[in-house]
Amino acid sequence: MKDKDNPMLEVRDLKVSYGAIRALLGISLKVTRGEIVCVIGANGAGKSTLMKAIMGEVKRESGEILFEGKPLPPIPYEVVSLGISLVPEGRRVFANLTVYENLLMGAFPRKDRENIKSDLEWVYSLFPRLKERNNQYAGTLSGGEQQMLSIARGLMSRPKILLLDEPSLGLAPLLVKEIFKELKRINQEGVTILLVEQNAKQALNISHRGYVLQTGRIVLEGSSRELLEKEEVVRSYLGETKASREDLKDRTR
Amino acid sequence: MESLIQQIINGLSLGSVYALIAVGYSLVYSILLFSNFAHGGFLVTGGYICYYMLTLTNNNIWVAGALSLIGAGLSAIATERLAYKPIREKTNLTLYLLIASMGMSIVIENFWVIMAGGRFRALPPVIPTYPIRIGSITISFFDILVFLITIAFLTGLEFFLQRTRWGLAIRAAAYDLRVAGLMGVNVNKLISLVFFLAGLLAAVSGIFLSVRYTLYPQLGFITIKAFVAAVVGGLGSLRGAVIGSLILGTAEMLTAGFISSQLRDVVVFGALVVTLLFKPTGLLGKAISEKV
Repeated sequence: MKDKDNPMLEVRDLKVSYGAIRALLGISLKVTRGEIVCVIGANGAGKSTLMKAIMGEVKRESGEILFEGKPLPPIPYEVVSLGISLVPEGRRVFANLTVYENLLMGAFPRKDRENIKSDLEWVYSLFPRLKERNNQYAGTLSGGEQQMLSIARGLMSRPKILLLDEPSLGLAPLLVKEIFKELKRINQEGVTILLVEQNAKQALNISHRGYVLQTGRIVLEGSSRELLEKEEVVRSYLGETKASREDLKDRTR
Repeated sequence: MESLIQQIINGLSLGSVYALIAVGYSLVYSILLFSNFAHGGFLVTGGYICYYMLTLTNNNIWVAGALSLIGAGLSAIATERLAYKPIREKTNLTLYLLIASMGMSIVIENFWVIMAGGRFRALPPVIPTYPIRIGSITISFFDILVFLITIAFLTGLEFFLQRTRWGLAIRAAAYDLRVAGLMGVNVNKLISLVFFLAGLLAAVSGIFLSVRYTLYPQLGFITIKAFVAAVVGGLGSLRGAVIGSLILGTAEMLTAGFISSQLRDVVVFGALVVTLLFKPTGLLGKAISEKV
């Protein structure tokens, strides 16, 4: 258990720009084995860019990304084969493939082809609805089911760490709750999770630690419980101050 | 009546040749979303490799054919690596790829003008073209052969796409190349594979066309009709490409047989105009839509 104290994934002073637009201005974060870590922030804070940089989809300007102590190659398929899997923003299921084929695609890089069957059973047990819709085209699923499929697909490569980019996007609150409950269960079954979210409350509720990302910089970090109580987090991301509630009531009246 | 059946068989044979071209072209289109105008070059390359290999192997069509398919497939990979990959890595705009492909089509054509000269060449008579009679109908054995071999290749392709791991990856990438990469697919390898398949199928049609007509560096221009077939069938849809090709080939032959052979091209491009006016997505384009 020596590597328990060493971070599984470590980002050091990462900078990313799109042409003249600077998306990440030097951010550092760590994820330790077994944790759920969330990065919360508003639209345009750089959350998706962070995910893309880890996966090797965007060019890093400077800084380092280490996975199990070694620098990550900036090539997506190599990142995946090392044990990192991203559930992309907006679900992005293959609408032209069946649910089953989508899950097989998730298992694409695996060498141990014989274990795929038991892992299919595993993801079906996490999301029983996918089993019912096994032979349906993914494009015909509801938004919530597509999100479940996207997560299940991400798990089919048996990642050591699962990255999720805004899994709550566009889903009804009840569904969001259900999805996040499943994420907690997936974590308890041994998958480390790094989550970026706009839905700060839900994300902080299930995670161990959190970072607050604001226009390309990390402005706050701490245990999720601490962050939930911090006044500036509450004000900026939870939107639950007394004043805003009064304001909302006024406006809806 | 007899001549109607004969013209339909002629049409299916011609349509098969279009289908081999259109399917490869559609396959590339479905992944990279641009019209690869160099596709005709793969066809010509396949034809010339077959021609030269026949002289080298003392007219062994099996060896020459196999080398032609592989050679054209590799030339397609080389075209992609040389001309398209550097562009795709810099930009998402497919217009640049389109323009590069126009350039490559000129490069490949002139490569063969330099290597083989501009004159028309006939393949040695290695593929039987004699007529056969069934009842009162006379048909060319070659037409039947073309049709059957095309079916064999397209069935093989379908099997590959539906039943293999890389086939699944190609279908996934046809929907979303970026996410296919996130699933751990080596995207460059996948694109090379797709170009190889496209080149291979183009070579089959190149050999057929060389036998049916003759072989010359501009033979690739016939791909324009296959592009039309792909649009009529629905761009990016392989089934659509096959159906569009068979319809177009048959329509062309019926026009040539019963109206005037000068009008055959009018029918082809008329079909394009009608498709673009009334059903721009083609017969089978975008059948599955995503719920948002």
